[in-house]
Amino acid sequence: MVARKKLGGALGEMFKTAMQRPVTESYPFGRKVVAERFRGRLDIDPVKCTGCSICEIVCPAGVITMVPVGMKTIGSRQVEVKRPSFELYTCISCGQCVDDCRFGALTLTHDFELAVFHKESLVMKKALVVDK
Amino acid sequence: MSDETGEERKEAGAGLMQYSPEGMMPFGPVHPSLKEPEYFKLILEGEKIVQVIPRIGYVHRGIERAAQERTWVKNIYLFERICGICSFAHSISYTQAVEAISPFEVPDRARYIRLVVAELERIHSHLLWLGLVGHWAGFDTLFMWVWKDREHVLDLEEEITGNRVHKSYSTFGGVRKDLPDNIGEKAKAELGYIEKRATYYKDLVQSEETLAVRTRGVGRITQETARKLSPVGPLLRCTGIGRDVRVEDPYAAYDEVRPEVQTSKDGDIASLLVLRLDEVLDSCRMVKEALEKIPAGPVKAAFPRTVHEGESSFHVEAPRGELFYFVKSAGGSVPERVKIRTPTMANLLTATEMLKGQTLADVPVVLTGMDPCFGCMDRVSVFDVAKSKGWSVSGEELREYGIEYYRRKRG
Amino acid sequence: MTPVQVAELLLFPGLTFFVCLAFLFEWLERKTAARMQGRLGPVVTGPFGILQPVADFFKLASKEEIVPSESDPFVLRWGPALYFAAPAMGIAFIPVIGYQSVIYHPLDLLFMLFVLAFSTLMASLLGYASAGRYATIAMGRLVVQYTSYGVPLLISIVTPAVLAGSLSLQGVAEAQGPVWYVFLAPVAFAVFILSSLAELEKPPFDIPSASTEIVGGWMTEFSGNALAYVKLTKNLSYVFLSALAVTLFLGGAGGPVLSTNQVLQAFAFTCYFLVKLFAVGFLIFAIKTGLARIRIDQAAKVFWTIITPLSLAQLAVAILLR
Repeated sequence: MVARKKLGGALGEMFKTAMQRPVTESYPFGRKVVAERFRGRLDIDPVKCTGCSICEIVCPAGVITMVPVGMKTIGSRQVEVKRPSFELYTCISCGQCVDDCRFGALTLTHDFELAVFHKESLVMKKALVVDK
Repeated sequence: MSDETGEERKEAGAGLMQYSPEGMMPFGPVHPSLKEPEYFKLILEGEKIVQVIPRIGYVHRGIERAAQERTWVKNIYLFERICGICSFAHSISYTQAVEAISPFEVPDRARYIRLVVAELERIHSHLLWLGLVGHWAGFDTLFMWVWKDREHVLDLEEEITGNRVHKSYSTFGGVRKDLPDNIGEKAKAELGYIEKRATYYKDLVQSEETLAVRTRGVGRITQETARKLSPVGPLLRCTGIGRDVRVEDPYAAYDEVRPEVQTSKDGDIASLLVLRLDEVLDSCRMVKEALEKIPAGPVKAAFPRTVHEGESSFHVEAPRGELFYFVKSAGGSVPERVKIRTPTMANLLTATEMLKGQTLADVPVVLTGMDPCFGCMDRVSVFDVAKSKGWSVSGEELREYGIEYYRRKRG
Repeated sequence: MTPVQVAELLLFPGLTFFVCLAFLFEWLERKTAARMQGRLGPVVTGPFGILQPVADFFKLASKEEIVPSESDPFVLRWGPALYFAAPAMGIAFIPVIGYQSVIYHPLDLLFMLFVLAFSTLMASLLGYASAGRYATIAMGRLVVQYTSYGVPLLISIVTPAVLAGSLSLQGVAEAQGPVWYVFLAPVAFAVFILSSLAELEKPPFDIPSASTEIVGGWMTEFSGNALAYVKLTKNLSYVFLSALAVTLFLGGAGGPVLSTNQVLQAFAFTCYFLVKLFAVGFLIFAIKTGLARIRIDQAAKVFWTIITPLSLAQLAVAILLR
């Protein structure tokens, strides 16, 4: 258990490390490769979205608000059509909405560079298109 | 501390006034060696500390109250954010507490996966701690090396759960995704590397003389003190008391993959260094064993969105010690009450005891010794200026206050 | 004083040359420490980030200076200039382009001792004047540390002087023609390096500026221009102490004579000097990177019980060798 006492026990390892390649990734100049499952910025496929508002209900961070985009006639009734708008600056990338979306419209991309000058540029209104 | 009456406390407060303000050294809430805001009033005689008065509550964010307004599932992500380092411990503790209300059987594979990720988290938390001790002891090279090696564990975690820190992986009824294919070989290679490095660090922290003189005999707690103040986790085990929730009350798959409880005798920082590295080695073994023994099958069973009426408490062994959750449900989609006690809360008094008699130079090392996570801890704070009560309430006072409160309430 | 001497004093083997070396040393220190820790170190400014310390200096110098209300603004303003003067005076006596230095005095080794003590005195004065609580504690530590390393540092400087029988840097450097004193008095060299670490506040003796305990040490209250000069002075002291080690133990700028041309030979001597200087600097980097910080009481104990007796024994051996 008791190891021998010596001064500068780290010196050998220090020179060994100096001979090896540094592990720092020079980040802004070289892109970091993230894991396959990495949960980054949220993305939506507007074609697949049906406006069911499940994502709005399950979102723990209050990212998603359903916005009315028009009216639709189902049988004899007039129904309001809604589509989600995403305030990605509050998104915590937990992926709960992706899990619960039964139409597979939502995905988490590998993009993690979410620092912007104006937070309005992180509002995603891509899905707000009127259905035909 | 807890059996002082109000009068005695006031006297103690008057006693503190005899120290001149020059001898009082503020440590925090903003200090380079505290990454989270916490205030310690150190009363010094020269460089020697004679009294320590902690003041908690700087990052009280009302999480327990917030939890009462969110649905069961949303709370998983909320509680995970109590602590970044032991986020998975929080999420498995909460999910298992809620599962225990029902009671609900989790698939075997999910239980194993929970164990794997929890142990990976222990490895990364202990390595983080080791690096910090190196940093506070002025040994930045150790800090850089350890954190460099910690990246390997974090990458493994990212591979399995999709994120390095807030894993968002455990959910009611299991875990959210199955393990990736071929993770077994990758984990074996990475953990082999970690084992090699941990063995080297264990040798280094014991043999490097400048580090040894800074840690040997520093912040020593005896077994009696430990029994009196009841710290949890490594701080308790380093005094030779081998208590571990994973063994005493197995959760996840700990009844099948048994941990070996590591203890050491000295109760100082040097023994904590060795103890935590031993735990890293043991965790590496457990992860490998679990990945070999893991049964096939589903990883998640359907769990209802509402939880029926009832209450349960659950504790897990977080990297820092016992983490306790109490969950009460009144039926419906939100919990009625969630009470959390994090390990730092239990360890704080022991840490102040460890600080007494040390020099100012030892404060960062000793404080880091308990692996503080003040952000996690700041859940309870009682500070009543009008009654000049101070920073904690004794059991007796609390009882009297409760009686008075209910008497008033009944009218 | 002739114009050539003034130019020498201010430009080539004098101030400008050594200030450039100070920036280079900081870069080397950061780069080697980074590589030993598996990092990259500075990379952006200039080739391999070599201009990073210069950029840091000018950025810091251009920042706002905050004077704490309880401090002594006069000392805070002009103290750094005096602090800078200490190593700046010292380097003028270091022989670089041969055996002759810019300024020569037969007793200049004694002046070196004064420079080293003056530097510490100025540091404690600056810490005292800034009136911060951290600075006060740091100043106490600084003084305790100086009383511990001061004696062995003095003895280790005197040892080569005894061996050479001369009290001037030139004399000591010239006397090492046949054999360097690092081989005759290795213990004195080791003691000098350790004491230099203490003088420079580097690990394991970075107790007065331990950032994890007392924030910035005695420099806590400094900002802007003053801080830039204090930091530059620390780097200059680094170069100065390394140069002193080269002169006292590694034969100064001495080396094989390659050419009869005076200018070419001066160039060769300068190269010898720089190689030795970087070797000593590198030794200090390596020790500094590989050790943890010890406590002030432990440092005092180490210096008084181990290092001082060792240096005294070395002095006795040196007297016998003489």
